[in-house]
Amino acid sequence: MKHTFWCLFTSTLLCLLGCGKSDDTVKPSGALPTVVAPVTSKGTIGVSLLTLDNPFFKVIGDNITAEGKKLGYETIVVSGDKDVAKQSNQIKDFIVKKVSAIVLSPCDSKSIIPVIQEANEAGIPVFTVDIPCNEPGVKIATQVATDNYGGGKEAGHAMIEALGEAGGKVAILHFKQAESCLLRVKGFREVIDAHNQSAASKIELVTELESGGAKDQGYKAAEDSLQAHADLRGIFAINDPAALGARAALEKAGKADQVLIVGFDGQPEGKQAIKEGKIYADPIQFPDKMGVEIVAAIVKHSKGEELPPQMLIPTSLYRKADAEADPDLK
Amino acid sequence: MTRNLSRVLTDYGMIFVLALLCAFFSIATYSEQSPTGEAAARQVAAALIANFGKAPRVLIAARDQADETLFANKLEAALSASGAKLLAVVKGEPRDARAALQKIVSEGQSLDVIAGTRTTAAWLVFADLKAEFPTLGDPQLVQPRTEKWPNFLKSENLVNIANQIAVIAIIAIGMTMVIITGGIDLSVGSLIALSAVLAARFIRDYAGAEQASALGMTLAGSAAVLICGLIGAFSGGMITVFGIPPFIVTLAMMLVGSGLAYLLAAGQSIYQLPDSFVWLGRGEGFARIPNAVLLMLILYGAAHVLMSRMRLGRHLYAVGGNREAARLSGVPVQRVLMFAYIASALLAGLGGVIMASQLKSGSATYGNMYELYVIAAVVVGGTSLSGGEGKMFGTLIGAFTIAVIQNGMNLTNVESYTQKVVLGGVILGAVLLDSLNVSGGGNDSRKGPADALNRGTNDRASG
Repeated sequence: MKHTFWCLFTSTLLCLLGCGKSDDTVKPSGALPTVVAPVTSKGTIGVSLLTLDNPFFKVIGDNITAEGKKLGYETIVVSGDKDVAKQSNQIKDFIVKKVSAIVLSPCDSKSIIPVIQEANEAGIPVFTVDIPCNEPGVKIATQVATDNYGGGKEAGHAMIEALGEAGGKVAILHFKQAESCLLRVKGFREVIDAHNQSAASKIELVTELESGGAKDQGYKAAEDSLQAHADLRGIFAINDPAALGARAALEKAGKADQVLIVGFDGQPEGKQAIKEGKIYADPIQFPDKMGVEIVAAIVKHSKGEELPPQMLIPTSLYRKADAEADPDLK
Repeated sequence: MTRNLSRVLTDYGMIFVLALLCAFFSIATYSEQSPTGEAAARQVAAALIANFGKAPRVLIAARDQADETLFANKLEAALSASGAKLLAVVKGEPRDARAALQKIVSEGQSLDVIAGTRTTAAWLVFADLKAEFPTLGDPQLVQPRTEKWPNFLKSENLVNIANQIAVIAIIAIGMTMVIITGGIDLSVGSLIALSAVLAARFIRDYAGAEQASALGMTLAGSAAVLICGLIGAFSGGMITVFGIPPFIVTLAMMLVGSGLAYLLAAGQSIYQLPDSFVWLGRGEGFARIPNAVLLMLILYGAAHVLMSRMRLGRHLYAVGGNREAARLSGVPVQRVLMFAYIASALLAGLGGVIMASQLKSGSATYGNMYELYVIAAVVVGGTSLSGGEGKMFGTLIGAFTIAVIQNGMNLTNVESYTQKVVLGGVILGAVLLDSLNVSGGGNDSRKGPADALNRGTNDRASG
């Protein structure tokens, strides 16, 4: 029995390790190379996104696929599931598959370095979307992202508009781990500070609480800030889930009319809340545009045109009137 | 012999599932390959000399990558010898090709041939030359003939699969032992993170960060593994001394380990590590096999000997088969259980160090959900969750099955949502097949410790 097993096992192992042949030993047939006219298939784009649980990334992936198809590319979109080891394996598979371009939103901008370097060594251009990887020693063709700083400024203007003449106390629901959220809050603060220079009644940023960018934590953070500041007038939440969590806390405390919320993102649920007046306004992001821009960047790169190191997609402010005119909302 | 074969079929049905999967993905990924390197250069050079007369004006386009640079250099040498006129040799990106074309145009020259690899010939910069560079002439694109070969069966991909599964497969050794004793260890995923963070911190804080020596790194890695071993000893102690169910103890340790990892890493990646740290995870040793894979094979060899040739291995089976009977037959049950949990934790720690080395950094996010993949590998490999049964090499096959499915689906453009469904289905199918085999083969699935002990001696006699 042992012998039979060993025979089988060794042959499987041989099958796994031995019978593959490396590229350069593939048959050197004497036949002539093909002289080709314009190339029809442009190859494959390998896409590994942070997660596909968040509709934002799903939209990016879907748009890369659709736009790629239009331009003659095949695409494969996989989710890194916020696990950098898994994402590394996906990128390695892309390299073996010899894709013509790799698009990724890194799960961890430090731990992803070695595998980006492997792609660099294999001569495959790497593009990042939404989350940057600005580390020394890696070559990124370009980075496509939302202009979070500009979006934060828009949020600031929306808050000024919402509070009007009266001004008042405002809380920020933050998510400090994310570089993008730091930029949003930076832009928001700058606009509010500039406003306070000239305005008669100032807007006071009283607290900055961690919201985790999620509903449950946003709910708790909003409850806490209402305890500390009963006369709160506004909340700036760095994304829609945090904003919706805050709204739930306001409704529970019976202060939904007293406190106005400015969110960020423009996910369907957030847009619906704007339509119902639960959120005052959102600077909305355009993940669909990001997907299209990435494919455009890949084409430009292949054409040999110069690419800027970063391509920022501006946000646009989305208020109740926009929501009422939005055909996507029921 | 026929009886033996049918027993093998019963015991190792997973090998055939794995072989079937390999065959399936080989067919599914059978596609055109782009040859590079010396052979491709010879091919293109011969075609150029045959089709374009004595002195064609040529641009060679290759990417800045080992195989393609070799292609460009060999082609350059062959063409220079034949008298062709080389106007430019591009080794880089499309924009370098554009710059070269612009230079040729600005010098008032024209071009007969653009010789490239399959990849560079597909660059869009060459797609519309007539419109963009009207004075360039009408250059023809020449590229090597493609040949067909499955992407899945390329040696780089097979090494890739083995490398990807090494961490899970190594941890699955310990998990197999624990499950054979009738227990479970849910803490291994967290221990990966803890060990990766510990090793990275030790190197950063005590071994000289980027300037750390090999000895320093070895000590840091060993210390991280040993600390994980201590946590395993703690779990084992709670289970044996206080009789708390392993599921609860290791669930608690999963939280503790993960929390400690986040505390120690302060939520950041620790990346101040020397370049040489990647030797363990990404270096290649004997016969171009990656070190992590080599380590995995050695550990499996050792574990196989332990489980089938040594008394301790027999005791592990006996404890899992019927603990009370084992105790009465004089098996030191508590020590055997302690061994299993410590081994599992040590191997998880080792997996964490390997992962830190592969990713050249340590972070508390590593290893999330890995316990489930490890358990899946063990169960797919034919080890019974009720204990007393299972084989080390079955686990290795199980781990490879999971890796092959994941890799194969990445190669065949299956998107992530579908991947999860398929992986879940295959795990279930494999286990189902295994259980059908067992009941069909007339084997009693539960074996007492005496059986286990006897089986050991029988195997030895027949082996």
